[in-house]
Formats: sequence, C-alpha cells, structure tokens
Amino acid sequence: MKITLVKKILADGSPCQKCADVLARLQSSGQMDRIDAVLVADERDPQSPGMLLAERLQVSRAPFFLVTTETGAETVYTVYFKFAREVLNTSISQSQQAAEILNDNPDLDYI
Amino acid sequence: MPFHKLVAPLLGLASSSTKSVNPMPIEPDNLLKQAFASHGRLALSFSGAEDVVLIDMACQLSDAVEVFCLDTGRLHPETYRYIDQVRNHYGIEIDLLSPDAVDLAAMVKAKGLFSFYTDGHQQCCSVRKIAPLRRHLVHYDAWITGQRRDQSPTRADVPQVQPDEAFGTPERPLTKYNPLAQWRSADVWQYIRDHGVPYNPLHDQGYQSIGCEPCTRPIGPNQHERAGRWWWEAATQRECGLHGANLLPVKAL
Repeated sequence: MKITLVKKILADGSPCQKCADVLARLQSSGQMDRIDAVLVADERDPQSPGMLLAERLQVSRAPFFLVTTETGAETVYTVYFKFAREVLNTSISQSQQAAEILNDNPDLDYI
Repeated sequence: MPFHKLVAPLLGLASSSTKSVNPMPIEPDNLLKQAFASHGRLALSFSGAEDVVLIDMACQLSDAVEVFCLDTGRLHPETYRYIDQVRNHYGIEIDLLSPDAVDLAAMVKAKGLFSFYTDGHQQCCSVRKIAPLRRHLVHYDAWITGQRRDQSPTRADVPQVQPDEAFGTPERPLTKYNPLAQWRSADVWQYIRDHGVPYNPLHDQGYQSIGCEPCTRPIGPNQHERAGRWWWEAATQRECGLHGANLLPVKAL
C-alpha cells in the first residue's frame, strides 16, 4: 500500500492552515512514517504535482490522501478522520471529528 | 424510506457533496408540512435570528415542535433575551445545547477566549456548535434549518431537502430540510412584517447576520451579510477548495 498526501499552497503563496494541521497531527502521532509521499498542490502552478494529481482524480479539495494498493486500486480520502480511522486505524476524538465536519461543510459555521 | 428519497424526483434532490438543482421549489410552509408528516423525530434549529419565521410556520402546523438553539456561551445578551421572548411568544420549549464542558475548558485553557482572531474560527465553532449539534442530532431522523442560498457563497447551492451526510450515517440516515433555501433576505423580512413575528433587536442596530458576539458585527449599506461574520479572515483561508483553473468539477468522495 502506498499513501500520498497532497497539501495545498494558496494562490497568495501562503500555506494552507488545514494542511498544516493535518501534517502536525500526523507528526505528533508518529504516523508521518506511514505517508510515502507528500505532493504540493500550488494554486499558482497548475503543473505542480499535487494539482496534476488532483486533476487526474477530479479532486477539488485539499488536503487529501490517495491510497494505492498493490493491485493498483486507488481510494481518495478528503476527510482526515475517515482516513485515519480506515487506513491508519487511529481513533479520533469527538472534538477533532467535529472540526473535520465543519471543515468539510463550511456552511455549518453560519448556523 | 427517508423522505428525501421519496421527493428526490420532484425536488431534483442532490446529496450535499454534489451540486444541486432544484427546478420546482416548494413553498416553505408546504415543505414543513411534508416534513412533519414524514418523520417521527424532527428537530428545528433556531439561531436566535430571522430563522424565527420557521418557528412561526411550524407552530401553525404542529403542537409538538421540537426547537433547539446552539448556546455557544458567547451570544449577545440581546439574543439570549430574544430566545426567551420567542419561547414565551409561541409557548414552546427550546432546548439550549451547550458545549461539552471538558472540551471547552481544554480549548480555553490552551488558547484563551479569543484565539479565533488569530487561529481562525473553526476550532471554536467546532467545540461550541458542531460537536453539540452532532450529539443532539443523533436523536432525530430529520432536522430543519433556516439556511438560505443568498446568505453566503458557501450556501449558494443549498437544496430544500438533502440527505445529511455530515451528521447522518448509512446506519442512521438523517434528512436535512432547508425550507427557506430559495428565499431572499427580503422575503424573510416581508414574512416577519406581514405576520407580526418578533425579531432580534440587534437587527435594528445594523446586524443582518447574528452569531456569537465576538464574531458578529453590524454591516453597512450594500454590504453582503457575510461581511458581518469573521471579517478578519481572508475568504481563501475559510475553505479548502483547490482554485486551479485546470481542475474539473467536483467529484463526490
């Protein structure tokens, strides 16, 4: 199994906060070793490796994870806690799950 | 079968992860009527603002309207008084959902009371709103919100009915009703005036969108109501989209 993480650089050149949060979680939990490759999706550069991968997979969000099995099957995860639970077998706290829900449903903060 | 599947052909219903098309909008009161007829456990979310029109409509349809409000602990004093005014005006109970005390204490201890001004509002909203909402919705098979398409770019595609994939699960499906999705702010205020509905006095002070006190401000003429919320955050920092011109449309994942 190969795991690829795609992180985003915003159009103004600044790093994506969400991507930094995910990387920090992987580092602090000691699971960064499980990530085989980290690609950058630079919004200023459509030819950047992460942007090209996003285009091929038709993914419009970042960060995201691509899990490729030995048979070549590919699964994309755009929700970190789902990835952590299903691939890394890690439990995520309720508050972290809530943060993920808000991240993936930005309309909810307006409630 | 969940109601959203029954009415999907009529509403052009789409999941929350796909772009929606809603060719035949249903009047909000009619949609509420259908919702009450279709679900045994139905909750109505009230933000303490102009979504009060849904309470007004619902109270004319049912004697057992279950209303809840996310009490973040940071609402304006006017909003707290207004929530009680609505409770008394309609003779209803309103569940005030509080954040988990342990999670809240941990966040405040680590980051203080105003970390959202530097770190963004997501963590605070997650602890004070999303987590309590998630815990509450476990008890229901449908809920009603006052979300409208004209409120924010993040709501531009809100359908009137949708399977709630954020809080529902395959084992416990949840339907989300947004009866006001196609109404504009002017429609809501016309209803409030026509029906003598009590409204939050902050609206008279220039607040169009009302949330927590530190994160809400009055707006000026011709400003979009989103300008009154989290104004210190750049729009690009608020969401996770990839904005490359070469990307294809969203694929549901």
